[in-house]
Amino acid sequence: MMGPDVVWYLCVAGFLFCTGALGVLIRRSPLIVLLSLEIMLNGANLALIAFARHYGQGDGQIFALTVMAVAASEVVVGLGLIVAIARRKLDLDVDKLTTLRG
Amino acid sequence: MIAAAWICLISPLAATALIALAGNRLTRRGAGYLSTLSVAVSFVAAIVAFAGLLGDSPDDRYHPSTLWSWLTAGQLDFGLRIVVDPLSVFMMLVVSGVGMLIVLYSIGYMEGDDEERRYFAYMALFVFSMLLLVQAGNLLILLVGWGLVGLSSYLLIGFWHERPTAVAAAKKAFVMNAIGDATMALALFLLIQRTGSLNFEVVFSQADQIGGAWAINLIALGLLGGAVAKSAQLPLHTWLPDAMEGPTPVSALIHAATMVTAGVYLIVRTGSLFEQAPKVLELSAGLGAITLVIAGLVALVQVDIKRVIAYSTMSQIGYMFMAAGLGAYPNAMFHLMTHAFFKALLFMAAGLVIHALAGEQDIRKMGGLRRLLPFTFAASLIGSLSLAGIPPFAGFFSKDSILAAALDHGWYGELLWVAGMVGTFLTGLYAFRMLFIVFWGEPSPFVREHLMAGSHAHAREGHEMHDGHEQHMHSGEGPLSMTSTVGVLTVLTVIGGFLQFAGVWTPVSDWLEPVARPLVEASGTQEAVSSILAVLLGAAGIGVAWLIYGARSSTAPRIAWAQRLLEHKFYFDEAYDFAFYRPAVFLAKGLMRWVERPLVFGSVRELVRGFGLAGRDTSRLQTGLVRTYVLAIAGSLAVLTLVFVVVR
Repeated sequence: MMGPDVVWYLCVAGFLFCTGALGVLIRRSPLIVLLSLEIMLNGANLALIAFARHYGQGDGQIFALTVMAVAASEVVVGLGLIVAIARRKLDLDVDKLTTLRG
Repeated sequence: MIAAAWICLISPLAATALIALAGNRLTRRGAGYLSTLSVAVSFVAAIVAFAGLLGDSPDDRYHPSTLWSWLTAGQLDFGLRIVVDPLSVFMMLVVSGVGMLIVLYSIGYMEGDDEERRYFAYMALFVFSMLLLVQAGNLLILLVGWGLVGLSSYLLIGFWHERPTAVAAAKKAFVMNAIGDATMALALFLLIQRTGSLNFEVVFSQADQIGGAWAINLIALGLLGGAVAKSAQLPLHTWLPDAMEGPTPVSALIHAATMVTAGVYLIVRTGSLFEQAPKVLELSAGLGAITLVIAGLVALVQVDIKRVIAYSTMSQIGYMFMAAGLGAYPNAMFHLMTHAFFKALLFMAAGLVIHALAGEQDIRKMGGLRRLLPFTFAASLIGSLSLAGIPPFAGFFSKDSILAAALDHGWYGELLWVAGMVGTFLTGLYAFRMLFIVFWGEPSPFVREHLMAGSHAHAREGHEMHDGHEQHMHSGEGPLSMTSTVGVLTVLTVIGGFLQFAGVWTPVSDWLEPVARPLVEASGTQEAVSSILAVLLGAAGIGVAWLIYGARSSTAPRIAWAQRLLEHKFYFDEAYDFAFYRPAVFLAKGLMRWVERPLVFGSVRELVRGFGLAGRDTSRLQTGLVRTYVLAIAGSLAVLTLVFVVVR
């Protein structure tokens, strides 16, 4: 069973990760930011699985499962935050949420 | 007897604590009674101690008692220790006896003052401090009492704290006394180093083995510094006249029973140390002689009734210093006692005058009070006669014995004797100048307004003006608590001198003999010559005063420069201002300008500015935008990765 070289998988993973990171950096809507985060996580997952396959060991796959679980929880928290923001009738715009500045 | 001595000591302190703790639960008058009672208990206890000592043979009259070990440091151990011996009992009797009368007098004098309770707490504290000073069984406890006396005098002189002059006077007294406390503490350090103890019997028995003339001289000088400051002798005397800012009974207490006599007591108590340093002892006698003449001169031009008496105190303490410095200890102590009587009397009589005239103290506004306040006049007359040393009043016996003793001390003593004689003349002059101005002649307009106009109006308009204030004015001489104490002191002034009559019987000298053996002994001729001359000079002073101020048949000679000199009190205040205050201020201003502002303030300011700028610039990094943080994290991760890769 031969597929493409591991390098190709990593290229796709890197592309996905960069796309996600770019989305996190430039998009303003929190929904899209969350979505982009998912894309980043999936890129990481892809890299993990590709390596697991490459070395013929299960560790990477188990790690990928953990990441999925974390991603799911993160979406729950993130969506909850977004709902909370919407409830308080604030703009759904991450640039407006600047209370972190001292 | 020991128990009585402790009760004598503790009782006024307990009153202070009670008044302080009770606060509003105690009425104002109650505080006065409590304070008086506590000092009366002290007096009774002192009498019990006295009686106890009488039962001993003269050489066994020395009873130390240590309550507990108060300070321990290495080999040194200072107990909370008192000594009951003839000298301390003598002082206890004077302090608590006269103190009791003064506190009782205060009840009438201070009535209606806003802070009577505080006043009486301080008065009791003052008496306690002085008792601690005279009962102390080692020099450390004595120094504690010394400091407490300074503190209580500060509190009482500045009692009317809403008057800036009173506060300034209190500070002045405290600072002047602090100088003396410091020299005394230094002397005690040296004494500890030399003898390893401060207990009286140890120190005094080793006095001749202290070794090194400079050491014993320094110790004696340090002690003398303390005595001079506390007793208001030259050159640390300037606080005493200013201390008149306090209530009149406080002046009486400072001048008669407590405080200023402490210096004399110290010299007598540590006589065996001073005797090893004869030059210092002579110096103290000389200082006393100079003080008594200068104070007598300054008193001639004072216009404040209390200040005249204040300068007379300086002058009389000068006599005591002279006696103590010549080694005539019993004479000094005897004069201390009679002075306590007639000085308290004079102050209280002055207090009656001030009370009757609603607080006025300027003698130029007074006059003709003789008929309006006959009792006060009689008391003042007896006090002044005693002050001037006219027989048979107390001052005659004690002052003349000092003068006679001076003759038994070689040429130096004769020099002091002359100064003392000059002082006697001045005393007669200034005492009766005041008396004649205040009591003689026709009532002045001011007096009329205060004492007679009211009664006329009262007579004319019947009872319409019969309100409380008028009533107070009309009570004439003052409430019973004031007049009765003045009466007691008048009697004491009349009979007090007969306690000792040089050459005939000498109970005071005999009593003090085990503690303070005199170095000089005047012969009968010297006594007679001194007495007659002193009386003549005193009478001459009175005569001159009569001519100028009583009969007004001649006027006082006006010498402009002399008058200026006296009115400026020999420029002591100005000199100290110039020598110490100005340079200190100059130095402080210079340091402020050249060191504090540029270096200290400047560096701190620059530092603060630097941190401010750094903080402002750094805070720009905090945008609050998640994406910049993400970018920063991602960017730095990328950089780190690159670094790792390249370094590998």
